[in-house]
Amino acid sequence: MTLTQTNSDTTTQTNLLSSPNPGPNPFRIHALERTDHAMQVWLFSGLFWLTIAMIIGIIGAVKLFYPEFLQSVPALAYGRLRPVHVNIGIFGFMSMGYLGAAFYMVPRLTQAPLFSETLGALTAWGWNFNLLGGCLAIVLGFSKGKEYSEIPFPFDMGFGLLEIAVAGNIFSTFLLRREQRLYVSLWYILLAIIPFPIYYTLGNANRFSGIEDAIVNWFYSHNLFGIWLTTLGLATLYYIVPKQVKKPLYSHTISFVGFWTLAAFYPWNGGHHVIWGPVPMWVMSASVTASLAMFVPVFATIVNFGGTALGALSVLKTDVSYRFSILAYLGYAGASLWGSSLAIMSFNAKIHFTYMTIAHVHLGFLGFGIAGLVAFTYFYLEKSRKLSYSQSLAEWHFWLTLLGIIGYVASMAAIGLIEGNQWEMGNSPTGTMMLRTPYNIVRAISGGLLLVGQSVFIWNIWQTLTTSPASSEELIVPENSQLEVAQK
Amino acid sequence: MRYIRVFPIIIGLSILFGLAFSGLAVAPAFMSSITEPSVGLVAYTPSELKGRHIYTREGCVYCHSQQVRNVKADENLASTFGISKSGDYYYDRPHLLGTARQGPDLSNEGQIWSREIGEAARDYLIGHFKNPRNYNPMSIMPSFDYLSEQELSDLTDYIQSLGAWKSPVESSS
Repeated sequence: MTLTQTNSDTTTQTNLLSSPNPGPNPFRIHALERTDHAMQVWLFSGLFWLTIAMIIGIIGAVKLFYPEFLQSVPALAYGRLRPVHVNIGIFGFMSMGYLGAAFYMVPRLTQAPLFSETLGALTAWGWNFNLLGGCLAIVLGFSKGKEYSEIPFPFDMGFGLLEIAVAGNIFSTFLLRREQRLYVSLWYILLAIIPFPIYYTLGNANRFSGIEDAIVNWFYSHNLFGIWLTTLGLATLYYIVPKQVKKPLYSHTISFVGFWTLAAFYPWNGGHHVIWGPVPMWVMSASVTASLAMFVPVFATIVNFGGTALGALSVLKTDVSYRFSILAYLGYAGASLWGSSLAIMSFNAKIHFTYMTIAHVHLGFLGFGIAGLVAFTYFYLEKSRKLSYSQSLAEWHFWLTLLGIIGYVASMAAIGLIEGNQWEMGNSPTGTMMLRTPYNIVRAISGGLLLVGQSVFIWNIWQTLTTSPASSEELIVPENSQLEVAQK
Repeated sequence: MRYIRVFPIIIGLSILFGLAFSGLAVAPAFMSSITEPSVGLVAYTPSELKGRHIYTREGCVYCHSQQVRNVKADENLASTFGISKSGDYYYDRPHLLGTARQGPDLSNEGQIWSREIGEAARDYLIGHFKNPRNYNPMSIMPSFDYLSEQELSDLTDYIQSLGAWKSPVESSS
């Protein structure tokens, strides 16, 4: 039923971003006067946590070639900082930043005010304090000890409950919407917000043991990447890229295919973390198949964004925000195709425990995650708030970030491959330890470049927001002109 | 009418997610290879469990895997200790399979630094926890010199239990 409806709607949906003549509508005008308060708390919290995640990441990276660094402080031990870095990356930076983008997109695409700005802002502050509590608990030695579900009770359940409040807020806005057609970004947001409480609770509150615990752990954590972070990120890119190039989306049919194949295959991917491990053969087979099947939604997205961006490459020179979008697009494509290839059994046998996994994850988080969120932030400042940020600082930010990403990913991928080859030749992890040192130094320097770029970015935003000529609320752009941008 | 385009999406997503949920979260609970312990496997003693808790608390799992796979990169481990099986982890809660090897795999550490060696093995392990670079100058393992003597002893008990229950591997495998 959905298929036919969406297909028959293709022509009208193509026009969604260039929605013609909505006509005078008092309700709509009223809706435009919202303050975007909730989305700002989410977005700027995300950017704050990104900075913290980078600082902790760099400390951890230094410890890998200079283990005496900050030694003998239990709370700053590598084994405690690493889960904090990872959890802030997931629940702080990516979750909060992209939920900020979602809180921005949902009212505009549904043509309805957010169900509750107050609830939205309160959940954001609750999320912040919950994350802070969870991270303090980990460094103080209360980790649950399983990757991606380290945050202990009650902070783990805090996220679950807050997410339900967020989902309720967004879903109520869906139900009250005035625009009946659902743009593809909204599909992705639905996929992000609805199943989260199920797998999150399963992953955090289970009392399984042994291999079943491992399988459930990976089912949970891969869904966290696949149908929580990736979907929120893709929703954001699907929203801003057509506006940046002032063209409608290349094809709604392709985005339809991409969405449903992603929803079908991604939840099966978890098992690929235990390929060749002590799990039943069919868990491996299913996960390898699903991981390779991810080529379909990834290619759909590549074609769709590629088609939209094609012919608009001149915008790259002038619009830093769009350049970050393209970086995010390439980062997404690269990290996804790479991830699928890591699930190929013969390749996995070689590189599974090496730094190549780290390289892949960071291409996703840095290349796709940071670039997409930065693109959205510049877009928000410029197109929505009508503020002009410093172009030269933004240029610095872009090139520092790009250099940091390349340095990080290339160094980790190279040493990953070297380690894999060494181990297959009979060398042991202890034997390859000294080989890693120069690569770990490059990794720390790349992290430093990223942090400098991030500092320039934060400074730029701060300057832009505090030196704006008029109060921000007057500057929020009316809904219609948001949607008409694509028409010109 | 208002919901007509939202609910089909939700139903479709529920079916797709439900399939994966049944496959990866429900089905394994009914597999006997997972739900039964390996032959000879012994449960952890109280001090080993305490040591295991320190192992998870200090994040040892981020650098040390606990699984030997049937692949070329693990050939040395597999020929010495055998390949890990699902039942080997029956008492592990939480699981500590690991995803990276910044240091060696520890699933058979209890055979390498066996209890039969006596005090020498314990002294080595405890000394190594306190300062790994006294034993291997190239090591990047953190110094766990902030652990109490009791904690170091429990952790040692746990490390010595790893794989200690396994019977020797026959040369054919």
